Formats: sequence, C-alpha cells, structure tokens
Amino acid sequence: MLPGVAWLVVFGLAPVLFMIAVSFWRSSIFGTTPDFVLDSYARIIEEPLYLDLIVKTLRMAALATLLSLVVSYPLAWFLATRRGVWKAIWLVAVFVPFWISYVVRTFVWLPILGRNGLINQALLSLGIVDAPVEWLLYNEGAVYVGLVYVYTLFMTLPIYLALGRIDPKLLEASADLGARPWQTFRHVVLPLSWPGVLSGCIMVFLLAVSAYVTPRLLGGTSGIMLGNMIASQFLSNNNWAMGAALSVTLVGIVGALLLVAGRWIGVAEVFTGGRK
Amino acid sequence: MPREDREAAAGAVAVAIRKVGKRFGSVAALDDVSLDIRRGEFFSLLGPSGCGKTTLLRSIGGFEAPTEGDILIEGRSVLHLAPYERPTNMIFQHLALFPHLGVRDNVGFGLRMKGADRAETARRVQEVLRLVRLEEYGDRRVDQLSGGQRQRVAMARALVNDPAVLLLDEPLGALDLQLRLQMQEELRRLQRQLGATFVFVTHDQGEAMAMSDRIAVMNAGRLQQVGTPAEIYERPANRFVATFVGHANLVEARLTGRRQDGFAEAVSADGLAFLGQAPPHAGARDAVLAVLRHEKLRVHPSDTVQAGVAASVVERTYMGSSLRFTCRAQGGAILTADTPNDMPGRDIAEGAAVLLDWSPADVVFLTE
Repeated sequence: MLPGVAWLVVFGLAPVLFMIAVSFWRSSIFGTTPDFVLDSYARIIEEPLYLDLIVKTLRMAALATLLSLVVSYPLAWFLATRRGVWKAIWLVAVFVPFWISYVVRTFVWLPILGRNGLINQALLSLGIVDAPVEWLLYNEGAVYVGLVYVYTLFMTLPIYLALGRIDPKLLEASADLGARPWQTFRHVVLPLSWPGVLSGCIMVFLLAVSAYVTPRLLGGTSGIMLGNMIASQFLSNNNWAMGAALSVTLVGIVGALLLVAGRWIGVAEVFTGGRK
Repeated sequence: MPREDREAAAGAVAVAIRKVGKRFGSVAALDDVSLDIRRGEFFSLLGPSGCGKTTLLRSIGGFEAPTEGDILIEGRSVLHLAPYERPTNMIFQHLALFPHLGVRDNVGFGLRMKGADRAETARRVQEVLRLVRLEEYGDRRVDQLSGGQRQRVAMARALVNDPAVLLLDEPLGALDLQLRLQMQEELRRLQRQLGATFVFVTHDQGEAMAMSDRIAVMNAGRLQQVGTPAEIYERPANRFVATFVGHANLVEARLTGRRQDGFAEAVSADGLAFLGQAPPHAGARDAVLAVLRHEKLRVHPSDTVQAGVAASVVERTYMGSSLRFTCRAQGGAILTADTPNDMPGRDIAEGAAVLLDWSPADVVFLTE
C-alpha cells in the first residue's frame, strides 16, 4: 500500500496542488510571484481569445475521438475475429508502429501531406492537379489526421479487449433466436463492447484535449489548440500563473464533462471493470 | 416416393436425418447417420464425449454444416438455411444467457428480433415465465439467479419462440445431482405439456433413460442403435450399446443348437452353458457374445437351492441400494451380480460357495 500511496502523493497529487497554487499567483512583466489573486481566471473569462480556444479545443478533441472510434471499431473487430497465427501477425502489425515515439509518428505526416509530399507528387504525376494542393497541411484537418493516427491504439485496444471477452456462444444464441447478423451486432456485440468503447473514448478524448505536439507540427496557425497556448505561457510569455490557470480550467471542464457523461453512459463501469 | 419420405411429408416426422456425414480433414465426426425424429417426441442422442452427438445437434440447429447427406425439418431441407432462418431453438450447454439483459429481455429476445409488437411480446414473455415458474423474476438480472433459475430462463427464452424442434445440448451437465433430477422432471413436464419435439444430447445414460421416448446411441460418429429406453436396455444391438448402457456380463460363446421354443444354446470357452434368445441371423455354430445384465443374474447360497451354476464369491461390494457380488464360476468365468439390498442372499460373504441362475429370456446373444 504505502509505496503506492507515496507515489501518488509525490508524482500525482503534489504537482496538481502546486499547479493550482501557481494559478493564483501574480504575474507581471517581471515574472510570476507567489500571491493569491484571481487575475488569471478573470482574464480567461473576460478575453474571448481564451474562451474561444477552450471551446475549439474541446470540439477538436471530441471530433478526433469520434473519428478514432469510426476507425478503431472495425479494426478492433477485425483483430478480435482473427484466429491462430494470423491473429498474432495482425496484432504485431497494428502495434509495432506504436513502439515509435509519437513525435516521430506525427512528424511522418509532413513528408506525406506537405507541399512536395507524397500525396501531392502522386496527384501531380497522375495529372489530377496542375499545382500542389496547399490545404493538406497546417490546418485543423491535418491535426485530426495526426491525432487519430497517433492515438487510435488507445481506442482500438480497449474495444479489442472488450470484444475478446464476449463469449462466442452468445453470438450463436443470438443467431439461434432469429437475429440476423446486423441485429446480433446491434443487440449483443455493441452493448457488450460498450465498456471498451467508453474507455477508448475517454482515453482518446483526454489525450486529444491536451494535445501539444500534433497541433504544433501539423496545425499551423489555424490548427492551434489550448495545449500550445499553455506551453507558450510557460515557455515564451513567462506567465506561469496564466498557464497554470488555463490548465486548471481545462482539467475542471473535462472533469465536469466526465461527471455529467457518467450519469447517462455508465462511466463508472469503465473504471471499475463493469463490477458494481 | 420411398417410405421415409412419405412419412416426412405426412408430418409424423419432425426431423429427418439422411445419410449425414461430417468430416474434419480425415476425421469423421459423423459417418452415414440416418434417423427420423417423430413429432412431439422426447428424443435423446446418447454417447460418450466425442461420439458426434453434439455435432449432429449443432448440424440440426445450423451451427455446423454436414459435408454429406441432408437434414429435413417438417419435410423441408434446411441445409441452406442460416441458424436464424431455421424453425429450431437451442438450449446451450452453458446456457449462453445475455449478461447485459434482464430476465424479461433475455426471454423476449427472439420475439423482438422478429419484430413482434411490444404488447404481444410482453404478454408472451409473461406467459412463458409462468410456464417455467419464474413469473416473479422478470425484472432480475441474470447474474442474480440461482443455477436452476438460470436453467429455466434458458428454457423460457427458447420456448417463447414456439420452435418446431427444441435442441438441448447437455443443459443439465453443470448442475448438482438433486437439482439435475428436479430439472429432468421439469423438462419432461414441459415437453408433455407443450407436446413439442425435444432433441436432447447427453452422455448420461440414466438421464436419457429417465426422460426419453426414444434414444439414439452413438459412438465414434456412427449410430449404434435407435429405440425406446427398454429396447436399448433389454435388447442391445451390439457390444458397445451393451457396455455403454447399464452394466452387463459379456461372455464370448459359440452356438451349439437351436430349440423349438425360440431359444438357442451356447457354450463359452470355459464351459459355461447359456440358454438365451436366438439371434435372428446366426448360423448354427456361430461365435456369439452372451449379454446378461448384472441385476438379472441371481445369487443363491448353495444350501438353499438345488440347481444352478456352482461358483464362489470373489468380492462383495456394498453399494447402498444394492450389493454387487463378483463370482468365479466353475471353469473360471467371472460373472457379476447386482442384488437388491432386501434380498435373502444379502448376507452372503466373500469366499462363500453359491449357485448362480438366470432366466433364458434375459440373455441376449449378439453376433459380431
């Protein structure tokens, strides 16, 4: 027990408490000094720039989550229904790219989507376009591509595990009771994999809402997210109080969303493994 | 039209299995199986594990595709139909109740899939829950039920669809003995009450005997014998049936003569003389296997009767309701007798000299 508690306190609780404390500090052009003022929070509420960015970040994270789900569910189903040595081969094929740093995996989209990238070269050589397509990179769309690619495994894995836990006899029982394949999917497979879907959605949403590298590398100016803003408060503006306040605000909003969502989609089951 | 096809068409036959074979590579799980299951009958498929009984049941339900032959339900070939298109319902070995649905939704699943209207579904579900005596449990989750109650939910979930044939894949296997006997009775009651056709797979011969109108004994993918429990028990068709169903003395012998009264005489290598039912297609001096059930062999203390085969008791085993005497007859043949615990001979000790006798009507000669 004790080492676990100590770990949580030192590396979990303490940084969060410190962050909350910093968010009340006073910031000036000379730096950030300990104090207890609401200046940073007041600015977040007053300046549309911050609120707009928070809303945009939540929207982007939600859409990235949805896109991940659309990509991951069929993939998880495919993996869960393979057998024997092919299952192992496919699993490795899906997992191996994720042994590479996510920075590299994000970076790899530059030579694909870029002005002289793979896609543009293909389009040019096929004569489909006369000049390179400019809108592939440095916008919101490119950020979605990057986020989905980088985080999709966090969606695929829990769904794959949930599908793997479904007793195949239940699918037979469903067919035996007259359910056509899509009815079996709708009434048996989907509800039983729901905890996996929820875990995956929560994981990807949490990762996407705090994304920093992906919008930084692929987003240009229009694809910027709150993570980039927070980073710049700490790194370039030297305004720790503002950075901390934005972080705390984001955590607060996401926490509230999870609580509300938990009322009607059973988030508790995700964290307790389905036991009540 | 061959006779069996006419019968099927006339509707007396619920399921017709025609020369069905199922091969996994070079292994035959089913080999040339043909049988008719009559409408409204409780029919059991009995055999040891791996004998093909479950494969046959799953072939009827549509979960296995036979590689040879045909299966007809109500006179129509069903081989091209998916499980959800067949007029059958299955009770699975481990029940396969839907864990995410309550009792009522489990039972109503089939009706909902077929798009039955809500009120009608609710009415039918309640009716079937009453039939299986679970009307108070509709709102429970399935993991809140006892083993016997889960069993009843599985029955209700299948029966609510009013299947032409109900397939039961050893559903009682996981229950303890008392509950098992209770559920056997329950299944039998339901089957009689509904007049439905039940096809029941089991490896338990006692269960098959107690419940079935007719039994098909299977071994190694082949049909061994089809008949009523009494026919199977009293007139086993071959060595496998004689040993798998009940306990029997099996003695290799050779026919020595045939009598006017329909009995035949045979003598074993160690000189034991048998009188028994004459085998229909045996030559005058053919080798036969004499089958005599343990409980048909009577043991008498040698001072109480005049005639019989002299023997000595090698082993006496107390089995509660009965006693088992293993005896060595003069000449060396070992014969086993099961004697009810209230018979006069119950006090016979090991080593005692006894006389054995039996009725010729209880001896079956098998030609192999």
